[in-house]
Amino acid sequence: MKKVLVADDKAPGRELVRMVLEKSGYEVFEASDGEQALIEARSVHPDLIILDIHMPGLDGFGVIERLRKEPGFAATPIIALTASAMMGDRERAMAAGFTGYITKPIRLGALRAEVERLLA
Amino acid sequence: MLEQRFREILEAAPDAILQVDGEGRIIVLNRAAEDMFGYTREELLGQPVEVLIPEELRRRHDAHRMHYSQHPMTRAMGSGLTLEGVRKDGSRFPVEISLSPSHSPEGFRVTAIIRDTTERRLSEERLRRVQEEYTQRLAETNAELEMTNRELERANRLKTEFLASMSHELRTPLHTIIGFSELLAEELEGPLNEKQRRFVQHIHKDSLHLLELINDILDISKIEAGRLELRREAFDFAALVAESLASVRALAEAKSQVVEAELDVPTAVDADRLRIKQVLVNLLSNAIKFTPEGGRIRVEANVQDSSVAVSVSDNGIGIPAEEQEFIFDKFHQVGATTKGIREGTGLGLAITKRLVEEHGGTIRVESELQKGSTFVFTLPIAAG
Repeated sequence: MKKVLVADDKAPGRELVRMVLEKSGYEVFEASDGEQALIEARSVHPDLIILDIHMPGLDGFGVIERLRKEPGFAATPIIALTASAMMGDRERAMAAGFTGYITKPIRLGALRAEVERLLA
Repeated sequence: MLEQRFREILEAAPDAILQVDGEGRIIVLNRAAEDMFGYTREELLGQPVEVLIPEELRRRHDAHRMHYSQHPMTRAMGSGLTLEGVRKDGSRFPVEISLSPSHSPEGFRVTAIIRDTTERRLSEERLRRVQEEYTQRLAETNAELEMTNRELERANRLKTEFLASMSHELRTPLHTIIGFSELLAEELEGPLNEKQRRFVQHIHKDSLHLLELINDILDISKIEAGRLELRREAFDFAALVAESLASVRALAEAKSQVVEAELDVPTAVDADRLRIKQVLVNLLSNAIKFTPEGGRIRVEANVQDSSVAVSVSDNGIGIPAEEQEFIFDKFHQVGATTKGIREGTGLGLAITKRLVEEHGGTIRVESELQKGSTFVFTLPIAAG
């Protein structure tokens, strides 16, 4: 069973992703901020990480910057999940090392398709 | 008799008139000269004319007079010099003088006509002060306007930042509402009864509508802040029209409307594909919205010079003539005749117009009540 880590400071946001992905047959782990995301990632070694960009303390950019420096996470697919829809945000995320980019509110079909594509 | 007449004219003249002889002595003067300089006639007759000019100039005047007697010529009034006269009491006043030489049997004579220009100088001075004052006031008003402009720009920027941050804050809870209502509607967590299913659909549909409104507000704020970046590329326009038609087909079918396209565009256009799709879908959704059941909606495109003209027409309720010039304004919603159809932000056409203009195109509308509307916009053709 493939493992997915979801980091989002809002509990409903985490639960939504968990529900959708569990139904699709993934094992889902949660983190409620950037620091916790780092700890969880290092202990479970997920196959895919979904990172909210806006989190208090260490944000999504801070998390990916640290993870990408570690050999174990150099190639792990990491999806940015953000409620910001300004132009240029996607480019900035891709430049920071994200493999995918999904804006909130998510459409369930799009989330499933993106996860499936990256774990294929 | 004639001499009497000349004397009357001399005495009635408003300017001072003097005549001096070859040695510069005053031999004739009129009443105005007495009044102007404050001497009696008896006091001045036989006096050197220099008593009437400032002391520091008297010596030089002597020389001038000698020179003038050797090169006599008529000098008109006010020919460039600022001259001063001196009254008996020593006070000075500005004058203009004309000189005319004459030769009589008694010898060389010079006639001087002297005008007191005090009043005129004062008027000129007043005029100059008024002009200065206006110039000053104009400068102040300009400075105020500039400041107001800067404040407006700042307010506008703050508004844009506020909208962008509001958009982010609104999308976060919408994420939960849309996501969970979609999840419930999928019934993966268990079947819903018919009522529950309907309720969930209401929530889902309206939350998606709310998302559309937020996106519109974000779009207009981006455009107004000049932060809309177009990703221009050459693309197949016919394919884009087909895609746009597909995305509104369900809406049209729900109202049994026919949507058709007739394209005469062999060329690719040079534009931001997603933004042009937004323009087309917006015009098509409006057409569907404002056209009754069973209506007809038509997209046409043809090449005109170096651009493509695209029209979206319907046979719907039309737009009243008095509203046509306002429909591209922000927050304007077509009112009276379309009661019950009002929904949306009133931003759709404003965004559409701006998007077309950002591409260097234009958009216009032709419409007749109960007959339908046609929106026509232009786009540049890709080079090469």
